Amino acid sequence: MKKSVKSIVVLVSICAVVSVLLALTNAVTAPIITQNEEKSANAALLEVLPDGGSFEKADITAYTLPATVTDVYLSENGGHVVKLNTTGYSSGMVLMCGINPDGTVSGTKLIASQETPSIGGAAAETYAAAVIGVDVSTAEALDTISGATKTTAAYKNAVRDALNTVIILGGGSVDLRTEEEILADALNEALPAANGAFTKHFFVEVTEGVDAIYFADNGAGAVCVVDTVDGQFIALDDSYTVITACDDTVAVAVKTAVDTVRATTTTALDLTAYAGLPEHLVKAEKTASGNYVMEIKAAGYGITGGDEYHPASGEYIMIRVSVTPDGRVIDCLTLSEEETDGIGSACADETFYGQFDGKTEETYQNIDAISGATLTTDGYKKAILRAFACVKIFEGGNPS
Amino acid sequence: MKKNSNLSIVLNGIIKENPTLVLILGTCPTLATTTNVFGAFGMGIATLMVLICSNVLISLLRRVIPDNVRIPCYIVIIAGFVTVVQMLIHAYLPDLYEMLGVYLALIVVNCIILGRAEMFASKNPVGKSALDGLGMGIGFTFALCVIATIREVLGAASFAGIAIPFLENFKIEFFVKAPGGMVVYGLLIALIGALTNGKAPKKKEFSCAGCPSAGHCGNACTANGKENA
Amino acid sequence: MEAFKNLVVILLSSVLVNNYVLSRFLGICPFLGVSKKLNQAVGMGVSVTVVMLLATFATWPIQYFVLEPFGLGYLQTIVFILIIASLVQILEIFLKRFSPALHKGLGVYLPLITTNCAVLGVAINNITDGYTFIESVFSSLGCGLGFLLAMVLFSGLRSRIDEMEVPSSFRGVAITLIAASFISLAFMGLAGIVDNLFA
Repeated sequence: MKKSVKSIVVLVSICAVVSVLLALTNAVTAPIITQNEEKSANAALLEVLPDGGSFEKADITAYTLPATVTDVYLSENGGHVVKLNTTGYSSGMVLMCGINPDGTVSGTKLIASQETPSIGGAAAETYAAAVIGVDVSTAEALDTISGATKTTAAYKNAVRDALNTVIILGGGSVDLRTEEEILADALNEALPAANGAFTKHFFVEVTEGVDAIYFADNGAGAVCVVDTVDGQFIALDDSYTVITACDDTVAVAVKTAVDTVRATTTTALDLTAYAGLPEHLVKAEKTASGNYVMEIKAAGYGITGGDEYHPASGEYIMIRVSVTPDGRVIDCLTLSEEETDGIGSACADETFYGQFDGKTEETYQNIDAISGATLTTDGYKKAILRAFACVKIFEGGNPS
Repeated sequence: MKKNSNLSIVLNGIIKENPTLVLILGTCPTLATTTNVFGAFGMGIATLMVLICSNVLISLLRRVIPDNVRIPCYIVIIAGFVTVVQMLIHAYLPDLYEMLGVYLALIVVNCIILGRAEMFASKNPVGKSALDGLGMGIGFTFALCVIATIREVLGAASFAGIAIPFLENFKIEFFVKAPGGMVVYGLLIALIGALTNGKAPKKKEFSCAGCPSAGHCGNACTANGKENA
Repeated sequence: MEAFKNLVVILLSSVLVNNYVLSRFLGICPFLGVSKKLNQAVGMGVSVTVVMLLATFATWPIQYFVLEPFGLGYLQTIVFILIIASLVQILEIFLKRFSPALHKGLGVYLPLITTNCAVLGVAINNITDGYTFIESVFSSLGCGLGFLLAMVLFSGLRSRIDEMEVPSSFRGVAITLIAASFISLAFMGLAGIVDNLFA
């Protein structure tokens, strides 16, 4: 009994003495550690904003900032350093972006990342040099580095978010919505009765003056986009009468376009009745006004040789294209694709296939290729060329 | 005579019973902190400080600490010194602190320290215990620096962070990666085995001599730490 | 779903990519010392996994509900090692009394675990990595299983080495370390896999 009491007393007193010793050491070292940490944090901030002087962490709780922003520091000279956490090839890409008082990027630094050093890591280094000096107006124009699309896109978005953050903190407002969100909001605003559910119409008739028609899924009417640049959205109610206030000429054009589209009837063509049609043509229809609507297989990256016909392969890009009898593309749409995600898959974006609208056999080559996906782009172009050839055959001519 | 025996205590730790290369103790820090000579030297010195301090204190208290609670007492004392060293390095050498990370706190469980406390300091007077700590600490630091030099020069083409320009194109990254550490350590042990040609107390197995738990360890270990001391 | 994904990533990366033994060098002593036979390797691996989990259950709340609120962060190392040592003692007494069979199997490995840096390493890393309680539990489970996996794989390799004619100066520790490096090299090939599992 006496022995165990002694043991406990010894153990407890050793613990107590050690704790006191630690508390004393801590009292001496803690302020130095805090000071060091502040100094090194300041040094890291100075690296991206060399003229910054000293920094102070900003209170950002009152602002709605881009989701990637984690911290913002204000510098003595009126600049900002924004710390962001974003996702490149893998998650956990942390970077700091310094912004001068005049709104240009002073420097960026990748603090932590899991990117492949030889690909994404190297691209990030190149990119860090490229972004110096850009501002809100030039940030969008930065090129992505091929082979490291995800890393550089993440970097670019982070720089844009940082620039926007500074604008928001300065009292300005920034549209943080994506293009899709902007469109969805505009449609909803023009025709609330549709409850936000729209289907974009695929044009088979030339409708001058109207860029796009979105029909409400619930039959509540339609919204026409008249001028994409200014984003004029004209709504029509369930009896297809124009309800948005606008110029008479615009109202007439919209009404005509919607009526034409609704009145259009198509008849399927019997493909076996024509000789010389390419095997790539899957389906063709002719409208009452004589235009052709075709579904064509385009050979993408997945097809060996770029153009061989493999019926068993599922790797074709299916496209739908409408063409006038004299060989002009009215509308174009990617129905399905199996291309590499993040590279060739861009052929499903309207920014790509929308470029073919209005093109003819002479001009269809003049489009911007998908960066890093030459084969996909070429396959797509060849499919458009085949559509022109098909129309010639349907019209009784000879394909070149 | 006395002087000679003091010197032999120190030399014993550095050469004959080098904790890293002969006793094969403290393998975790040996492999983990030797990617850079600066880090290895820092780790060695930190361990040396803890080793001397804990050896001295445990030797002083060797008649006070009851046998049945000695291990917890040693652990508290060692953990205390480790934390002190950790705080000092954090305050005055923040770069080193950053580099060593969790391994600094893990000096607590380095078997060299607990092993020397159990085998030497608890049975010897203060002076000898301090010398034993010094010898073992120098031996540990020396071994770490040798391994780190090989790994850093071959793997990163630099020495203590200073780049060696003419090796830049010949660096073999394997050596600074985990498996490289094991290969270098293994080859070094084999080299020492070959040089001493069995004259040194050759270890057939991983040392349990320094392990305070060796007695409980049954079939895993055969040697009993207490008898060896 | 997102949270579940995160937990799976933590679990798998601590088993495969950031394997404590093979890429972080924690717990090397038992890895090299107790991996001669398969049954020893399994016994040690299971014991370490159990103690790692128990240690996390104990140290995480203590860090966040005791040490930090009272500004005692500097006592972390000392408190954690004492908790682990006591846990091992309690577990041993408990097993001896209630499950002698299990004690016979695992009991011999328990005292070794007190000074196993992997256990203390997990407890400290869970705090420095800022894991939540659930994340910490998954990370320690992963580390324990990763340790077990490494032990089992390595015991298979060692039984082969024992049958080989190894040059005399390499016999024992040296060849064991070099063999371990091969396992470690194999695990390096897994880097990057887990992160992109759900990408």
